[in-house]
Amino acid sequence: MSVTFQSIRFGAVEIQDEDVIEFPFGLIGLGGLRYALIDRNPGTGFLWLHAVDDPALALPVVSPYQFFATFSLQIAAEDRERTGIENAAPEHLYVTVRATPNPLDITANLRAPLIIAERLGYQVINTNEDAELQAPLFTLPTQSQIAS
Amino acid sequence: MLILTRRPGERVVIGEEILVTVMGVSGHTVRLGIAAPQGIPIYREEIWLAVMEENRAAAAAHADALPAEPPAPEQTSPQAVSPEPSGESAQEQPTDPPAAH
Repeated sequence: MSVTFQSIRFGAVEIQDEDVIEFPFGLIGLGGLRYALIDRNPGTGFLWLHAVDDPALALPVVSPYQFFATFSLQIAAEDRERTGIENAAPEHLYVTVRATPNPLDITANLRAPLIIAERLGYQVINTNEDAELQAPLFTLPTQSQIAS
Repeated sequence: MLILTRRPGERVVIGEEILVTVMGVSGHTVRLGIAAPQGIPIYREEIWLAVMEENRAAAAAHADALPAEPPAPEQTSPQAVSPEPSGESAQEQPTDPPAAH
């Protein structure tokens, strides 16, 4: 079975039933309980996490490992207890992206990654002290902090 | 705002299910123990505010806000590095002092 939802950005979007991801606690400050990951920019690594029930609510996300070689997740104790998740496989991890016209200004939030698996999603706090709230996705090599 | 004075070891009960215990006081630091139902998220305020701000900023992106193609190689961060994490990458290592429960 497929589900079609409306998006102010992309018009009607058709997904499969099993593509619907339930976020029992929503996203921090945004809410939204049902989302889907849609690929509108194939080949770029960017996906959109789009609310199924709110045409206006969508966030760009990327896999942290694709852009941050040293990314490491330590799930906060209170989040482990709340979600029951002790550990997350790399393919289940995403980080939100703050998009800007200049690619060098685009940042990702490594401090609060999303764990999406088994049609369930959670935003958790990464207690790794190196996890930046605004980590540049693209940096000139000489300025790179993440390649060091 | 309700203001209460509590000593270490004393508690505040919020509703039927939330219990806040003053674990200890050291200088300007107060350690709180919070017992709450599993479904109630608990955050340090400054982190909660910062993440909310990032989420809202991310959600403000227009449909065409993302690069249409991968940026030029000289500007990319190490994409060539394998996305395979090192063995410890995804492990939880609870160094954060437990604030709760």
